[in-house]
Amino acid sequence: MSLRNFMRGAAALALSFFACAVLAHKPSDSYLTLRVEADAVSGQWDIALRDLDLAIGLDADGDGAITWGEVRARHDAIEAYALGRLDLSSDSQPCPVHVVERLVDAHSDGGYAVLRIAGRCARPVETLAVGYRLLFDRDAQHRGLLNLVAGAGSRSAVFGTDSRAQSFRLAQPSWPRQLGSYIADGIRHIAIGFDHILFLIALLLPAVLVRENRRWRPTGSLRATLWNVFGIVSAFTVAHSLTLTLASLEFVRLPSRLVESLIAVSVFATALDNLVPFLPRRRWLVAFVFGLMHGFGFASVLLDLQLPPGSLALSLLGFNVGVEIGQLALVALVVPLAHLARRRLAYERVALGLGSAAIAVVAFGWFVERAFSVAFMPV
Amino acid sequence: MRLTAHIAACIALAFAGPTAVLGAPRVPADDHEVLERLPGRAGDAGARQAAALREALAREPANLGLALRAAQVHIARGRSESDPRQFGQAQAALSPWWSQPEPPVAVLVLRATLRQNAHQFASAREDLAQAVRRDPRNAQAWLTLATVQQVMGDLDGARQSCTRLEPLVADPIAAICTASIDGVSGRAGPALESVEQALARSARVDPHVRGWALSLQAELAERMGREQEAERLWRVALALDPSDTYAAAGLADFLLDRNRHDEVAALIPAGTPSDPLLLRRVLAVRRQGQAGAASETESLASRFAASRARGDRVHLREEARFALEVRGDARAARELAAENWKNQKEAADARIALEAALAAGEPASAGEVLAWIEAHGLEGDRIAALRARLAKARRA
Repeated sequence: MSLRNFMRGAAALALSFFACAVLAHKPSDSYLTLRVEADAVSGQWDIALRDLDLAIGLDADGDGAITWGEVRARHDAIEAYALGRLDLSSDSQPCPVHVVERLVDAHSDGGYAVLRIAGRCARPVETLAVGYRLLFDRDAQHRGLLNLVAGAGSRSAVFGTDSRAQSFRLAQPSWPRQLGSYIADGIRHIAIGFDHILFLIALLLPAVLVRENRRWRPTGSLRATLWNVFGIVSAFTVAHSLTLTLASLEFVRLPSRLVESLIAVSVFATALDNLVPFLPRRRWLVAFVFGLMHGFGFASVLLDLQLPPGSLALSLLGFNVGVEIGQLALVALVVPLAHLARRRLAYERVALGLGSAAIAVVAFGWFVERAFSVAFMPV
Repeated sequence: MRLTAHIAACIALAFAGPTAVLGAPRVPADDHEVLERLPGRAGDAGARQAAALREALAREPANLGLALRAAQVHIARGRSESDPRQFGQAQAALSPWWSQPEPPVAVLVLRATLRQNAHQFASAREDLAQAVRRDPRNAQAWLTLATVQQVMGDLDGARQSCTRLEPLVADPIAAICTASIDGVSGRAGPALESVEQALARSARVDPHVRGWALSLQAELAERMGREQEAERLWRVALALDPSDTYAAAGLADFLLDRNRHDEVAALIPAGTPSDPLLLRRVLAVRRQGQAGAASETESLASRFAASRARGDRVHLREEARFALEVRGDARAARELAAENWKNQKEAADARIALEAALAAGEPASAGEVLAWIEAHGLEGDRIAALRARLAKARRA
């Protein structure tokens, strides 16, 4: 080695003393999302334009800038290059995929080509084998970051030069188990959803009373109480099921801040109405109108669970059933106690009066929090 | 001009923000819309050279001479541009030999350099031990070995490697090699003098070696409490090579320690491609209370997350600092710093480990780091202050 060459080498190595500080902008990664439903595979593959330029050349005019026109002109080559380096198979039978949409996106380190892909396996997939060898011959530190979505679950995996082939067992839970977990989600949401609980309590407190001549008096019989409760609960259920369904199917979309604020208003108004009646006397009508708002609230929870599109009907059904179970449990707890206590003077004063007042105060706090995006409430 | 354009593009991308990872894919309306600017422009000699070597190598992938040259060019570009993709391309050029247990010595040295760069220090050290065994006169192998040993905290081994380097190289290099080890083992003062003398003895010093020497001198001066001299040396190093991220990070840390946040924010542009520099910038703009601080913080967090997603663990020191100084999560910082300490043991690694242990209220967990500092005699006011506070906390 000549001294000159050595010096160059030493100079380069001198910098390597500092390797710990000279760190990454971003190494080469591609982002592959695959969704498997029965025998169908679909997904999206984001590949950096820089990497594609290295592999197959995109910068046709050599000016260092890659334009959409240059990408478009090379779409066939991009697809042939990418799909030729991704093998999907199930039971040793290939699942050929093709590109259905060609897009672009900007990631934190630059422009990416986005390929939407779709294909079919010979049979419903139990185990998906993925062979990945994009770019490894050009950039040995390239990684393929896979997000695999199947059934209710998703998992991630990393493909590198030492891990080019991986298999994934897609143990799809059976539908009764899925349904069970959605029902549990619905129950849980009611159990921790203080706004729904307080709303129901505010609705139900006067159900054991009858309003006559600006005064409350106890209902005559259990039958009368139950008839009241039945009307209220049914109206609430029908209303929130309606909006829950509409919002989950994305027919209607409301900003969550508005929905949450209106839910707080509904609790406040219902509680206040127990003290100073101003809402329609037909309680089921109140339950129905406000129930519409609560349905939107339930829907945002359901959407947050990030359900796979295939099981929407199942999840909607399960979640709603769970909500009803939670709600009926609350009714079963509150109504008998209220009914037994309804003749005591304290019921009207303490339970209805103070209870409703407390609920109104809490609900007002929620409203301020939600409408103005501040936080001060303990729950 | 190119740098300006690059920085402008980076800023634009920074504003595209971390959410861009989950952005909305679209079909551009205009064929002329520019989607990406390649880092090596058409007129760039380095990019042209790399492209020519890649083409030649594609025709003859087993040509060792071509592969070595291609790997060296990519490594040099990776460093000068803070572009990790270049290291992957260097590794790809070496792929016919990469998995061999005993590849040619020149491949061993480059493989070790790339492994060191990925913070795989143990395997890098194995490669280099094999290289100097097979070719004891290989100066590069000895120098890189000394570096790796020092990073791993094996100061005695590193000193021996520097000694073996001495008869093989021109004047300042061996002296700098030894001084960098003396500087963390109780002899910062003599080390500083020895570098000055070695530079004075040498008629012509390669600019890269001079930059390396200047950064070392700056660190030693800082450790000796000679503040003005340290600042001047950092600035000279940076002036010599404005793309030297090590010097930029060193100067930024010097300024951050003295609450000179405005100067850090001016030193490091928004959207810098280097994660360590972005960390310093984020620390500065947050303490300044700048409006864009939140988005730059998230941008850095998303870079760390992206690195973790691909399975890299090269950012542990920076992540520990981020957890401690930005997130205020002392417990996470302590865990990251402890994990980092298992892999690398430089002065900065010791400092963050002590700071995090103190902040987390777990002074006992710093025992191993303290023992190492004591055994080697690492100097410096900050380390001394941290040791005193830890000793007090452990008594309490």
